[in-house]
Amino acid sequence: MVVFLFAFLFSSCTEVVDIDLQYEENRLVIEASLDWKKGTTGKDQRIYLSRTTPYFENSSARVINAQVTVINKNTGDEFTFTDLKNGLYIIDDFIPIIGDTYLLTVISENQVYTAEETMMSVPEFTRVEQSLEGGFVDDILEVTFYFDDPVDVPNYYLSYFHQEGALLPYLREYSDEFTDGNELFHFYEKDDEDDELGQTFKPGDVVDIRNYAISEGYYNYISLLLEQYYNGGSPYSAMPAKLRGNCVNKENPDNYAFGYFRATEFVQETFVFKE
Amino acid sequence: MKKILIYCVILCTTMVFGQEKFSIHGTISDQSNGELLYGATVYIQGTSFGTTTNEYGFYSISVPKGNCILVVSFIGFKDLHRQLEIKQGLQLDFEIYSNENQLDEVVITANGSGITNIKRPQMSVVKLQAATIKQIPAVLGEIDVIKTIQMLPGVTNNGEGSAGFNVRGGAVDQNLVLLDEAIIYNTAHFFGLFSVFNNDAIKDVKLYKGDIPAKFGGRIASVLDVRQKEGNSKHFALSGGIGLISSRLSIEAPMYNGKGSFLLAGRATYAQIFMKKMDKLKDNELSFYDLNLKTNYRINDQNKLYFSSYYGRDIFNINNTLENNYGNTSANLRWNHIFNDKLFSNLSVIYSKYDYQFKLDFIKLDWVSDIENYNVKYDLRYYLSDEIKLDFGASIIKYNINPGAIKPTAKDSPINALALDKKRATESAVYLSAEHELSPKLTAQYGLRASFFNRLGGQSMSIYQNNLPVIYNASLGIYQSTTPTGEQSYDKNSSIKKFGNIEPRLGLSYQLTNRSSLKGSYTRSVQYLHLLSNTSTVTSLDVWTTSGLYIKPQISDQFAIGFYKEFSNQDYTIELESYFKTTENRIDYIDGSDLIGNNNIETEILNGEARAYGLEFLLRKNKGAFTGWIAYTLSKSEQRTLGGLAGGPGINNGNWYNTAYDRTHDISITAAYKKNDRWSFSANAVYQTGRPVTYPNAQYQYGGLSITSYSDRNSNRLPAYHRMDLSATYTPSKNLNRRWQGEWVYGIYNVYNRKNAASITFGETGPGGINEATKTTIFGIMPSITYNFKF
Repeated sequence: MVVFLFAFLFSSCTEVVDIDLQYEENRLVIEASLDWKKGTTGKDQRIYLSRTTPYFENSSARVINAQVTVINKNTGDEFTFTDLKNGLYIIDDFIPIIGDTYLLTVISENQVYTAEETMMSVPEFTRVEQSLEGGFVDDILEVTFYFDDPVDVPNYYLSYFHQEGALLPYLREYSDEFTDGNELFHFYEKDDEDDELGQTFKPGDVVDIRNYAISEGYYNYISLLLEQYYNGGSPYSAMPAKLRGNCVNKENPDNYAFGYFRATEFVQETFVFKE
Repeated sequence: MKKILIYCVILCTTMVFGQEKFSIHGTISDQSNGELLYGATVYIQGTSFGTTTNEYGFYSISVPKGNCILVVSFIGFKDLHRQLEIKQGLQLDFEIYSNENQLDEVVITANGSGITNIKRPQMSVVKLQAATIKQIPAVLGEIDVIKTIQMLPGVTNNGEGSAGFNVRGGAVDQNLVLLDEAIIYNTAHFFGLFSVFNNDAIKDVKLYKGDIPAKFGGRIASVLDVRQKEGNSKHFALSGGIGLISSRLSIEAPMYNGKGSFLLAGRATYAQIFMKKMDKLKDNELSFYDLNLKTNYRINDQNKLYFSSYYGRDIFNINNTLENNYGNTSANLRWNHIFNDKLFSNLSVIYSKYDYQFKLDFIKLDWVSDIENYNVKYDLRYYLSDEIKLDFGASIIKYNINPGAIKPTAKDSPINALALDKKRATESAVYLSAEHELSPKLTAQYGLRASFFNRLGGQSMSIYQNNLPVIYNASLGIYQSTTPTGEQSYDKNSSIKKFGNIEPRLGLSYQLTNRSSLKGSYTRSVQYLHLLSNTSTVTSLDVWTTSGLYIKPQISDQFAIGFYKEFSNQDYTIELESYFKTTENRIDYIDGSDLIGNNNIETEILNGEARAYGLEFLLRKNKGAFTGWIAYTLSKSEQRTLGGLAGGPGINNGNWYNTAYDRTHDISITAAYKKNDRWSFSANAVYQTGRPVTYPNAQYQYGGLSITSYSDRNSNRLPAYHRMDLSATYTPSKNLNRRWQGEWVYGIYNVYNRKNAASITFGETGPGGINEATKTTIFGIMPSITYNFKF
């Protein structure tokens, strides 16, 4: 909140500077997101392995020759992923089951990393709408999705908006802590100054909209990750901390992996802004 | 018990050796406006007998029978000499004349007025008059106490745009900020760009940096004691100013045939001053205002009543989508009673409140949080003899804290109403302290404060397995909140938790020569309230909490030694101090802690410790056309939080890390030069080691984003902070003999336009989404012009 107010007040007085940073953290990164789009079979899944790089090199150091398996702990089914030799490990016969717990095992360079996650279910969108009046600022377009939050259970969500042609998606985690059982909504609105494409939404713009149901553990992880991603280094946000995911190295605990093993159900809609 | 015995022995011995003496008591005030003077010196010429006036301008001194010359002296005023023949006790009220508008240099008598400052054991204290504060160039011409004290050694803050201040490596919430004795919970206007203190309403400010007298308690790093003017008791006076950000107006006048007076001061900003670039956003508002009121009524020579009050508000509104307002309210009714020529008393009944509200229109949410307290205190000073002065008293504070309540503002809001449990507590204390001249060269100040804190019931508290709200998850290597296993309810008359602490305060001063002394002190202080803030800079949204089942009181021990010297008839003074301070039970926050709207704050924190040490140097030129000071501080401030019962190594792996307010070097130079009656100039310069921050040490790709891996907490630093400011004040000469007096103040803040980093943030903001570092600067070069007037 205060970060926002301050950015608002002083956004004009910024400049890009050269900072000499030490490269001190060399780790495996596991992006294992078993995301099941509602209404599909969910049998195609992919896992991405890479390593950290120096901060100003946003490249991705792909990790190949690893063994990646997922076991459904409720059914005992084992799924082995195929190494595409470009960092991606894929499978085309995965069986997602809501409420079941999966165990991920990654073996890379003789180190064994494991993680467990339960697949969460997501409600359907009740509607997706554009408007000029809603959102943060009047008179500019935003898109809003609506859904009904299940009553009396804590739910955690991750919203995802990606405009066609934009480089980066916009992600936000949220929970029903203060809104349990109500019709919830999330909107996406762009300020022309902050947006990488330099403009607000206009008719014809296409946005990929998703809402993921996530576990509490992943919610804690992604909320810290996103807070640091969007406000990193601001004196009005929490002091940055090491992001520990759920991928542990039992034999060599200090050599844990970054990233997370998540299992989610999500709803998706491609929205086109109209006149 | 032992202490009391010692007191008795001392009392008896002094009584036995006393010769025939009489007490002279009264008040010292400024002749021009009747304002009582705090800290003026009264002494007998040719002796070392002296005393200083208290907060209410009261003094009492014992004088041997016969002829003597009584001298009253105060910086900025001409010494007053009065030949007296003492045959009996007397009440003598003096008015002294200010040096202002005098071209002649001040003549200092042989027995200089600073003698008691060198001699008194109180150390680590700075007192500033409103006039001194006014001299210092200020950003956009907004004169500000909080900014001025940062020019002193041992005082910093987290840079422009951060609320509060830090004293000797202490946190912002460890400062007790008092406005006419009322607690001010948030000193910030505009998120800390300005402070809540309107200089026009202020008489003087005293800052105790850790060596806190026994009569104060409840905070461990410092006491900032701000006192409002009483109001001109001689004639009607109007003063004010027109600046770039705000305008000020104050009215003072005598009342009840000179038996009383009042001051009413107001200040308000011009809304939308910062909104110039926001043309696309209509209906925005950013403003603050405040009101100060003080009145007094003299019932008779023995009794005087004071009432003072403050109300201030900040309002921030974007497009009616987001509305944010906050402010302090305070009121204090005081009764000064003089029992006899040796016993002075003051009873105060005080109320203060801080509240914060925001409304988010787009999700139809309304949030309110507040803290309020009622405080009754009774302070007495007994001028037992020339050698011993006693201070004693008692205080009780009742706190009501509303940590937050959320309500939906419309039927179709997705928000469910929620009110966090209100917290209630009392903090009470009794104290006794003596200033005791053991020999002509050695003076001691020793005292005890006993404080009690009672966290009151009337609510339920969550209980946890093994009593652990936070545990270490060894497999994931993180601290996690645990889920409460149940609740225990406490009825309204019961107590959830009680604490009691004895806080010794000791000071010793040894006079090396008439003009120099050595001092040492030890202070233990205890703090029962904590400001929950997991950011580098505290914000107006942060909520206060009490000690209780899971949060222990912060306990601080400070040791300090110092050397003090005056030169050339007190024209110059040097103060050199060194301190070492430890703090137990400093709250620290687990990674990813969520403090807002959380009823179980204990699940987000661990109890840690802090330590700070440093060396402070202050050279002042006090008199003449050219005045000013040079301050240098070399210091260190760190904290550490071990896992303890929660398991694991602790926060930041259990290693000591720099606090956000650690500054290795801090140099401030302030100079003022009065050229003639028309022109005066001032300048200041600041250099500080950069603020500790946490920088990236690698990046990786996750979810299509470049994610930063951060190094250890606060292991890097922003670039050094430095700047220079200038100001010139022009008083048109035709004004000199008129009642209407105006002056123009021209200022330039940050003359060489240093782009100081308020923050450096990292993100994928470069061309093609590459990572880059972005520096945010708040104030570049800022010229200003202000017109002040007096009538």
